[in-house]
Amino acid sequence: MRIIRDAALFVAATLVLGTAFNLAPGRHVEWWGHGIEPPAAGVDFQLIDPASADAMRLSLPTVVFIDTRPEPEVRAARVPGAVSLPLPEVDRLLTPELTHRLRNADAVVIYGAAEETDVEQLLAQQLRLRGMAPPWVLAGGFPAWEASGLEADRERSS
Amino acid sequence: MSLLRHPWTHRILGAALGAVFLYAAHDKVLDPRPLVTIIWGYRLLPPGPINPMAIYMPWLELLVGVAMLTGFKRRAAAMLTTGLLAMFTVALAINAVRGINVACGCFSTSAQDAQNAWLLVLRDLPMLAAAVILWLLPPREPRTQPERAA
Repeated sequence: MRIIRDAALFVAATLVLGTAFNLAPGRHVEWWGHGIEPPAAGVDFQLIDPASADAMRLSLPTVVFIDTRPEPEVRAARVPGAVSLPLPEVDRLLTPELTHRLRNADAVVIYGAAEETDVEQLLAQQLRLRGMAPPWVLAGGFPAWEASGLEADRERSS
Repeated sequence: MSLLRHPWTHRILGAALGAVFLYAAHDKVLDPRPLVTIIWGYRLLPPGPINPMAIYMPWLELLVGVAMLTGFKRRAAAMLTTGLLAMFTVALAINAVRGINVACGCFSTSAQDAQNAWLLVLRDLPMLAAAVILWLLPPREPRTQPERAA
């Protein structure tokens, strides 16, 4: 049957492309699930609004902000002093030095590009599974931070 | 019935379904990690196969989307699309019966994007019908004029 053969071609192409892209650097998803529950508020992370996060930044000595957006966006504008740590790069960028810094921080706040914070919650869970205290996740991400008129480091155009 | 087998009906339905599948696949192909959480949220699969499903399903959506949009092996793509849509519809219906509004993962990779499961089932049904038409009612061959004897 020709239609079955054609369908098998699609399935084969799917297997090849899916495998190839999952082997690409920084993209790896575990091949087989190990039953990690989805991130849960109060267990893996706590949500925080921009004004409270800014107040915490100004009042505590070591608050580390983690930016999950792609590098060019982080360079263009970010929360002052934020560290770039996109979720797909976590294994490569989470060096022992950064781990030490995060463990010893008074608070860690993760933010991203979107108003939904799924990626940030997954990163928070990754950090917690590596033995860190549950970080804060910025509700509304960087758009909410900017919309609140809070201070941001911006790339200077020459 | 003849309208359903008209070549232009197939082109239009193929283009519409293909565009929907390409749009649906886009975010998931770029980063399948949030999809793992979404599939988990359906509470239908054991943990093991959730990850391979999140890795491969977006690529299948992308490939059948391109095929239906371009007409390349459209019937086979429609057969696979029927399977995918039937699977999505059944999964959503099971959760609708359970009374759980899941984040469907259809067009958004946000697990917070929970919607009424019955409405999602209703949204899937016209697409399922279109895929079945493309699969089971192939377009009529254009009539050729009988050659006249010289």
